[in-house]
Amino acid sequence: MKVGILSLQGSFFDHQKSLDLISLESLLVKTPEDLDKVDGIILPGGESTAMSKISSYNNLYKKLDIKIKQGLPTLSTCAGTIILAKSVIDGDTHIPNIDIEIQRNAYGRQNESFEADVKFLNNNDIYCFIRAPKIIRTLNNDVKVIATQIDDIVGVSQNNIVSLTYHPELTNDNYYLEWLLAFMKEGKYVGSF
Amino acid sequence: MKIESTFKVKKGLAEMLKGGVIMDVVNAEQAVIAEKSGAVAVMALERIPADIRADGGVARMSSVGVIQEVMDAVSIPVMAKARIGHFVEAQILESIGIDFIDESEVLTPADDVNHINKNNFKSPFVCGATGLGEASRRIAEGAAMIRTKGEAGTGNVIEAVKHMRTITNEINEVLTCDTNQLVALSKKFRAPLNVLEMIKELGKLPVVNFAAGGIATPADAALMMQLGCDGVFVGSGIFKSGDPAERAEAIVVATTNYNDPKVLADVSKDLGEPMVGINIDTLTEEEKLAKRGW
Repeated sequence: MKVGILSLQGSFFDHQKSLDLISLESLLVKTPEDLDKVDGIILPGGESTAMSKISSYNNLYKKLDIKIKQGLPTLSTCAGTIILAKSVIDGDTHIPNIDIEIQRNAYGRQNESFEADVKFLNNNDIYCFIRAPKIIRTLNNDVKVIATQIDDIVGVSQNNIVSLTYHPELTNDNYYLEWLLAFMKEGKYVGSF
Repeated sequence: MKIESTFKVKKGLAEMLKGGVIMDVVNAEQAVIAEKSGAVAVMALERIPADIRADGGVARMSSVGVIQEVMDAVSIPVMAKARIGHFVEAQILESIGIDFIDESEVLTPADDVNHINKNNFKSPFVCGATGLGEASRRIAEGAAMIRTKGEAGTGNVIEAVKHMRTITNEINEVLTCDTNQLVALSKKFRAPLNVLEMIKELGKLPVVNFAAGGIATPADAALMMQLGCDGVFVGSGIFKSGDPAERAEAIVVATTNYNDPKVLADVSKDLGEPMVGINIDTLTEEEKLAKRGW
């Protein structure tokens, strides 16, 4: 199988490294045609406004939206999660596919960026939150909370989508990598593996 | 448990800017144009480098008012410049919550020996480098991001190309040497040994490296990306050109699609006048900003 990484801007090489570590073939996705060649997609961190602007050059988001709705296994981190959110406080929505309300730069500016302990499924590890968004609430019961940082929701899943607000690709711990492999192989969210 | 501003988090912001374009702006209006055109961050300045060069005199940190105006206008990260070695300007920038500090040769240096100890700050720093030694010294001082030191305000990419090629060649020298030669290379490049050891282990610089200085066209941006830069700073090139919004957008698309000449041709069409450039040969040694920094 081949996993695409949305590569308009942002930490796409870091996600590629994660896929290399679990021996999954990857493709840096920049055009609508690229989307026909992949069996899964990762939306990386970066700047959501910049990515959306760049995507408008070749209408990439339109096809991406269709593919996600057709069930393409989709992982998003940080800005990628803003791109998929159904509701963005004080901001534009992009390709709304996950029923959450999100707030951009919710913890403050860069000086308030931090590392913190995240509970992801049955595991605890320390991850980076960089000018991170916050999932304010889930909009219905189809959305399952899968990661928390104290009382904050930092990871959710819905059908074929998993959305996180932090950066597992900057840590690449074994638990995350094993989960990522299982998720991409299964094609949908897995709670145990 | 929550720890703010670790080096991983500082370097992480630079990682998120990769593949993007950072644009110089002098007010809120320009900042909004930059954000809408797809900039990943803006550099808030009172005057762009081309004007600093033309005006002469001592160039200092921009007024806090201008920087805050830009910070209020956009949701993308905002950077600002402090003079080389001027750690108090950096303290001021940090206190107003700037997202990134550029310890920049575009401003008049405040210290002729020392750079700022960047490890003392919560805010991440970007610093210019003409070669691997300079890059390594800045990384040892705590820089979370490196950029080339092309001649700002000239619209001439030759110096940025030279710096990028030099850094790449020198990294290759580190990667191909055997470990017995590392101390000699450290001496040759005036590069701290521990940074060279990191480079040898990682196969590349431990932080992101952007192109900066003299980039004026989509083709310039793509050239720097093909040479291996992680992203691009555009200073005077955008708001000194005929149609800033269109040029900004074209450079953004070119930076993502740097390997696709068809896209580059398409975005380069009907762009209007680029900024007027300056030949580096016509600058005296004193006028070359890249000489600043130690």
